[in-house]
Amino acid sequence: MTELSKIRNFSIIAHIDHGKSTLADRLLEECDAIDQRIRAEQMLDSMELEKERGITIKATAATLTYTADDGETYALNLIDTPGHVDFNYEVSRSLAACEGAVLVVDASQGVEAQTLANTYLAIDAGLEVLPVINKIDLPSARPAEVKAEVEDIIGIPAEDSPEISAKNGINIHSVLEMIVKDVPAPTGDREAPLQALIFDSQYDSYRGVIVYTRIKQGTLRPGMDIKMMATGAVYKVVEVGIMNPMGLIPKEALGAGEVGYITASIKTVADTQVGDTITTVENPAPEPLPGYRPVQPMVFSGVYPADGAKYQDLREALEKLKLNDASMSYELESSIALGFGFRCGFLGLLHMEIIQERLEREYNLDLITTAPNVVYRVTKNNGEVLMVYTPLDYPDPMEIQLAEEPFAKVNLIAPQEYVGNIMELAQQRRGEFKDMVYLDANRVELHYEMPLNEIIYDFFDALKSRTRGYGSLDYELIGYRPSRLVKLDILLNGDIVDALSFILFADNAYPRARKICEKLKENIPRAQFEIPVQAAIGGKIIARETIKALRKDVLAKCYGGDITRKKKLLEKQKEGKKRMRTFGTVAVPSEAFMAVLKLDED
Amino acid sequence: MQAAVNLLGFESSLLKGGFPMAILKRKNKIPLGIYVHVPFCRSKCQYCDFYSLTTKDDKLLDSYIDAMCAHIKEAGSLAPSYRVDTVYFGGGTPTFFGAEGLAVLLTAIRRSFDVANDAEITFEANPDSVSDKLLRRLRAEGFNRVSLGIQCDDDAILQKIGRPHNYAQAVSAVDRIRKAGFRNLSLDLMYGLPGQTLEGWESTLRRVLSLNPEHVSCYGLKVEERTPLYQYKDLCNLPDDDLQADMYLAAVEILRTKGYRQYEISNFAKKGLVSRHNMKYWLGGEYLGFGPDASSDFGGKRFTMVRDLLAYIDGVKNGGSVITEMQEIPRRERAGEYLMTRLRTTNGINQAEYEKYYLLPFAPLEEAMERFAKQGLASKAPDGRWYLSPEGFLVSNSIITDLLLIQENTVPLAKKRY
Repeated sequence: MTELSKIRNFSIIAHIDHGKSTLADRLLEECDAIDQRIRAEQMLDSMELEKERGITIKATAATLTYTADDGETYALNLIDTPGHVDFNYEVSRSLAACEGAVLVVDASQGVEAQTLANTYLAIDAGLEVLPVINKIDLPSARPAEVKAEVEDIIGIPAEDSPEISAKNGINIHSVLEMIVKDVPAPTGDREAPLQALIFDSQYDSYRGVIVYTRIKQGTLRPGMDIKMMATGAVYKVVEVGIMNPMGLIPKEALGAGEVGYITASIKTVADTQVGDTITTVENPAPEPLPGYRPVQPMVFSGVYPADGAKYQDLREALEKLKLNDASMSYELESSIALGFGFRCGFLGLLHMEIIQERLEREYNLDLITTAPNVVYRVTKNNGEVLMVYTPLDYPDPMEIQLAEEPFAKVNLIAPQEYVGNIMELAQQRRGEFKDMVYLDANRVELHYEMPLNEIIYDFFDALKSRTRGYGSLDYELIGYRPSRLVKLDILLNGDIVDALSFILFADNAYPRARKICEKLKENIPRAQFEIPVQAAIGGKIIARETIKALRKDVLAKCYGGDITRKKKLLEKQKEGKKRMRTFGTVAVPSEAFMAVLKLDED
Repeated sequence: MQAAVNLLGFESSLLKGGFPMAILKRKNKIPLGIYVHVPFCRSKCQYCDFYSLTTKDDKLLDSYIDAMCAHIKEAGSLAPSYRVDTVYFGGGTPTFFGAEGLAVLLTAIRRSFDVANDAEITFEANPDSVSDKLLRRLRAEGFNRVSLGIQCDDDAILQKIGRPHNYAQAVSAVDRIRKAGFRNLSLDLMYGLPGQTLEGWESTLRRVLSLNPEHVSCYGLKVEERTPLYQYKDLCNLPDDDLQADMYLAAVEILRTKGYRQYEISNFAKKGLVSRHNMKYWLGGEYLGFGPDASSDFGGKRFTMVRDLLAYIDGVKNGGSVITEMQEIPRRERAGEYLMTRLRTTNGINQAEYEKYYLLPFAPLEEAMERFAKQGLASKAPDGRWYLSPEGFLVSNSIITDLLLIQENTVPLAKKRY
């Protein structure tokens, strides 16, 4: 065990593309934690998807051994946090495992909303926040101004902040020195009853779940019987140790102040929820660490195999993903149109996209996903209160006394020249303006209250495009409010395709219905007969398009007995049809579902 | 000579795997069609993606003939149990190639194969390359059917699509073909041509039918990617799919009233005068194709010759490969071909034949055909066979692919002894 005074636990806070992973990489290098020869770009982001998107999805941690200028050797525990608004709770738990945070600020762009949100989380958690000015070697760098901005906006001293370039390895040493000097050493009693904070866990098919933890009080050793205080799960510890980018390094014990891992033949990450407290069965802590919250998916979507026969494969894939992602939920769902599939819950749209991409890539599945929705609350005339997770369960309008939808508090930051654009966007999305604060001479923070539903539909993308990428967003749920909701049904050739139904705000129904009908018309191939495409609310048609009957689809000439080439053409056409889902008599390609999901892109 | 190995590689001539050939019962010998590809043209038409060269290099023509003769001879030795009942010279422009060359090739066929006395022997011709002398010579050699490509009666359109002749030449050619003694004449027409209107097409048809051909083919223009037309397809006022469909239906109706029976998607004939050669393609007969890019269905295998004249000549002479693709077609796949090819014809498909040859249930197909019938796309004849209506022919790809999907999910019937 490392002496408390020689431990520093810190995380790095940065805006998505402001170089967090690059800086982490440089720190590891500087400490020789990574063998140069095997160094891959940005070690901490180990998932392929994370590398592609340039964001951190899962928290990871590494212990760096650093010999400082004072001659002492320190254990620096870097806890990498997820970097997207969907993962705010996970961020807060990672921060709770630290005493300090390195705030990476872009020398030309300044402070961003996402950074700000996480910085406030860090400050609220009592962390020492240490700014670092990055990308100092860019011609557009304005370090002095940005430092002043940090002091003005966040209210923490930045005058002596290191000016670095993570990309080009400039001044990395000064960051390490700052961590040793300014991040407080952890405190804790290694003889006290065990309190260990779970900040992440990961399923490994050989060892079971690997739990990443910060020991707050007490000491953890192999062989101990441990208990997860929130879930109540009990296990015997197999191994403890620390992580470095090369892998897991077993240790005899982990003591208060240390960051490391535990294995205990745990079969599912559902037993090791982020934020839960581990204690011992023999000598339990009187109470868990504060701040635990059970994970709660906010966005739900139907996930179906494009080929109905692959249902079993999809189930197995979801089971495996769930082993490693406690924040995703799935439940069997069956649609008349799509057959058997799952209603999956996600933290947000990014999380949803990630899961879908992983299912498609890692498990080689073709999926049809239905429009995502939030959870609505409906009070029926008989007083019964329903939580509606899927449009399939939305009651008949006649039975509804009160319909409510979740609202969120939204903070938006952008240069002031975009305020008009943002206000226009927020208004379109039913945002209720609260107030507006000038952060400095040209940056503004706006506060809105807005239905969560409006946020999950590409709001972030729309914001980006209306602020030339400068706008940033953060939101948190504030509860349910009454709303005028309707369920929109789509009919193909007179039959409702239940998988295309969704719930929305009444005033949006007409324009949206028209758009959906247009999109479907574009994406459903002409058939041998005319296909009406209709949108209806409670049996009343509010929009209609017609897909004209196919008039000509023929190989007029089949010359010289060349059947083979024509056969290939027909085979190809047949395979194309095979990938479509047939609803009644209408064949719908999965692109049509995708097109309906991406309504706002043009 | 190794050409025989290149061509077929069969140990003996085999019966095809279960393809129905009612015609089999007629004689002991198996009927065979022969296709000869003559890949030479005076000029290339703007829409054409067939394999042909615009050359008259004597040396090249000679080595082509040599190679063809050698190939025909080798193949003939592998087909002693066949009797050739149709021969078809296509192209390219066989008449541009010249009477002498065609005569030599036909003679080679007669020497190496058992050609029936009443065989249908066709050559394709263009109005600009049929001299009286050529016609007389070919008639004397035993050719008895001419397929004349006239396409259209509007000289402006003919010029636009790169045809090397005008309509007056076509009329004159018909006249001279008759005078030379051909009693079986087919005229090739095209609709959907640049700038063509529905009215224009209808009047073209009426005018052409006054020439009184025995057989008419009407092909809708299809813009193929590897053609000059593809480059400027958006600039030349091409009729759209709807107009093409109207033109097609108008043609079917006009031809019907003039006594031409539709027997295939694009083919119409007076009673008893269908193209026997082309019907082999649709009804599952066997045929051998000679020349570059020619296709065969022989001995249970489908194969296509290399699409390059020099490679073909070289392959035949020196034992290189002349076949680009050879496939043995299993019975299950033949069942798919049955649907694809039969439904191009008014013979259509029927339960007894289908279940007997492919041991697959017809009922699911029948159910689909009933649905198509309700949409006016198909009909059931009193004898139980199902065939497509003209409207059905127009969307036959879509219908056939629907049926193929249904077929794919059927389970073979229990085997019966026949």
